[in-house]
Amino acid sequence: MTATSRPPALSMRGITKAFGPVKALADADLRVERGTIHGLVGQNGAGKSTIIKILAGLFRPDRGTIEIDGEPQTHLNPRQVEARGIHIIHQDRLLVPTFTVGESLFLGHEGGFGAFGLLNRRRMQRQAGEALRRYFSGIDLPIEALIADLTTAQQKIVQITRALLNRPSILVLDEPTAALNKGEVDTLFTTLRGLRDEGISVIFISHYMQEIENLCDRVTILRNGKDVGTVDPRTTPIGDIVAMMIARDIKEMFPGRKRKIGAPALEIRDLTVKGKFEDVSLSVRRGEIVGITGLIGSGAKEFLQTIYGLRRADGGQVLIGGKRVVIDTPAKAVAHGVALVPEDRRSHGVALDLSIRENVTLSSLSRYGSMGFIHAGRERSGVDALIGELDVKAAGREVLVRKLSGGNQQKVVLAKWLSRESSVYLLDEPTVGVDVGSKVEIYQLLSRLAEKGAGILVLSTDLIELMGICDHLVVLYRGRVVAALRTAETDTDDVLKWATGAQASTRPDMPAATMPAS
Amino acid sequence: MSLGPAATGAVQAGSPHRDRPQTARTARAGGIDLMIRVGAYVAVAVVLGYFSVAAHGFFSLSNVVNVVEQSAILGILAFGMTLVVIAGGMNVVSGGIDLSIAANMGVCAAVFATSINAGVSDPVAVALTLGAGLAIGAVNAFAVIGLGVLPLLATLAVMNVCIGAELVLTQNTVISAASPLISLMSSGTFLGISVYAWFLIVASALFIVLVQYTRWGLRLYAVGAHREAAHAAGLPIAKYQAASYVIAGLCGSLAALLSVARLSGSSPGANDNLLPVIVAALMGVVFSRRMVPTIGGTLLSALFIGFLANGFQLINVSSYWVNGVQGLLILAVVSMTSLTKRAGT
Repeated sequence: MTATSRPPALSMRGITKAFGPVKALADADLRVERGTIHGLVGQNGAGKSTIIKILAGLFRPDRGTIEIDGEPQTHLNPRQVEARGIHIIHQDRLLVPTFTVGESLFLGHEGGFGAFGLLNRRRMQRQAGEALRRYFSGIDLPIEALIADLTTAQQKIVQITRALLNRPSILVLDEPTAALNKGEVDTLFTTLRGLRDEGISVIFISHYMQEIENLCDRVTILRNGKDVGTVDPRTTPIGDIVAMMIARDIKEMFPGRKRKIGAPALEIRDLTVKGKFEDVSLSVRRGEIVGITGLIGSGAKEFLQTIYGLRRADGGQVLIGGKRVVIDTPAKAVAHGVALVPEDRRSHGVALDLSIRENVTLSSLSRYGSMGFIHAGRERSGVDALIGELDVKAAGREVLVRKLSGGNQQKVVLAKWLSRESSVYLLDEPTVGVDVGSKVEIYQLLSRLAEKGAGILVLSTDLIELMGICDHLVVLYRGRVVAALRTAETDTDDVLKWATGAQASTRPDMPAATMPAS
Repeated sequence: MSLGPAATGAVQAGSPHRDRPQTARTARAGGIDLMIRVGAYVAVAVVLGYFSVAAHGFFSLSNVVNVVEQSAILGILAFGMTLVVIAGGMNVVSGGIDLSIAANMGVCAAVFATSINAGVSDPVAVALTLGAGLAIGAVNAFAVIGLGVLPLLATLAVMNVCIGAELVLTQNTVISAASPLISLMSSGTFLGISVYAWFLIVASALFIVLVQYTRWGLRLYAVGAHREAAHAAGLPIAKYQAASYVIAGLCGSLAALLSVARLSGSSPGANDNLLPVIVAALMGVVFSRRMVPTIGGTLLSALFIGFLANGFQLINVSSYWVNGVQGLLILAVVSMTSLTKRAGT
């Protein structure tokens, strides 16, 4: 920690910024000491990205002062910000896919690589290698590889290294770990700690509370455009921080379970896809939310995809509403009233460049028109009703989905299926990358769907989520059902043991096909 | 699954995608790239091999030199087109393309021939011609970058303006022209190599250095391949894209000088070169490891197209067929690149 006599690396005070009638920031303060890692948390819409964009010089605040190293700044623009040593690593991986790692690291700063604008590629590649070894030793990243051939994690590392080459004094990372695996996160954290010890200030934005706890010296919590506290996450319980973010107790996140269980909506008998999963059976009744979980490679994801017709089953039966059906294409799944909300919503769930209205009614246009014509009025009122029901935060139904936050995009995906009124919902990691507030709304929505008589099957690896919303839980391990549990009678520890294979399946008589009655 | 009881309060503590590396481009797409590249080389080898057997004297020195000379105009135009495609991106609809480049050559040839006939000295005539080409390039740049018109439409419009201007200048007739420079270009040799061939050799070398070995070239690729990334790297995108159109305009006028020398004047029909120019620039992509337009790839494609036309001539197939074959080549190349793109996402 720095001596108190030295000015902070960054001091933003009384920052206010409104977009039309919406106040994104209201009198927010952010003070970052030199040589610290400073977390910034808050729900989507709390003002995190707005305050970062003001720091980046992309937005001008309506009110408030910014001091960098004690010097007041006026009218920051992106170039000045960089000149002051502030480098921001955005969530988007802004890299040229056809460039090598070396070229990507130095694009825009190739200067010094030879006279007359000639490139010294060999030197560029060598310095690229040195930089990567210095900051990310232990991570294998071929410098001659093309960006397009790298994993998202490797691309993230290139992006961060690129910023570090500019010797920043303040490094801002916006959700840097979303695509990284455990080992890569550890390496990144080691690097960030090293930078901190060199006196660099790091501003770290993340949804993952454990990362904040592990990494940050301080954390500022934003809520509704205002900083509601700056605390030491190593001594403050995570629950308290979350409570500050959402101003609500975590137990209140999950809706109550007073649903009427009806006849089976979806029954799976001995479904098999060779090499993925074998003889998986389960049933989801009307009004029931069933969870399915398992480690990567457990076959749970493939199982969901097979039910929806994305994969061809090698054996087994699928019954919908008690009737045997063959679903070998998604079109047939839709025709049988089965809806799938995929994990990767950006590439499969929504059309980013279409409006909310178009996305919502895309797969159910027939309900909004006749003889091939769309009844615009009926479509508008239908969409507005769904936007209202799901509380999609947007300026209107014509807003492009691209402009929405992750949570709101997910709500649009849900609205799209609601608009069809399916009888079976399959959800694949429905709350990945979604902020806490939207999560709560999605949980409530699932609960309401079940109340209306739908059968819901949720694949998730977030055990707290599954324990919170599901009636039953099916655990897959290496392609086989190892446990069928009632969530009321188990805990995350138990589930984790089954999922990791720590608890061997010693109950061959376990009737996987029939859920314990509730 | 990093979730345990310790994380009870952590709403987002579970990070389900942690253990799942996401590759931006699948191994399958990489395989398709390789297949296409190998396929392209094999196809070229098969075609050339066939002609070397079927067409007598196809690989004789004089015929090869002949093809290289014939390909000089196509090559230089295609270099200009390649630059525009690099800077504007390869998207078939919204990417960079200069449809006016062949018509530009036509009007520039008319400028050159008429100014020579008007009694202007060679240097002045050359300056006028190059000035005309640069001006056309600047108009394209203004329409695309300044006004924001799709390159496909902007340069189509400029193409029509060029065709009209050429007709006004020439009244749709052949305008013969003769001058010391023209005769030097049409019959001069250096080290036993004709001026046409030298033009192609020097232009290739200059463009290869400019595009593949300079900072400017690297940035040009960045601008076309990922606009936002280039912007984030602080590059002035508009300037790079504008420069590509102006240089393409210059290429049009350079090709015009060669064309006047080769035909001893200006002659209608310059715009017939448009299709082969597009083929050469797009087909060049399949010769590069990264599946991007390169000067070297464009040169290979231009020569291949030259050999193709020449081979058809030698085995007495009507030259009308060449047009059809070029059309098919465009279709093949464009569908291949979109195939790799689709597999890549």
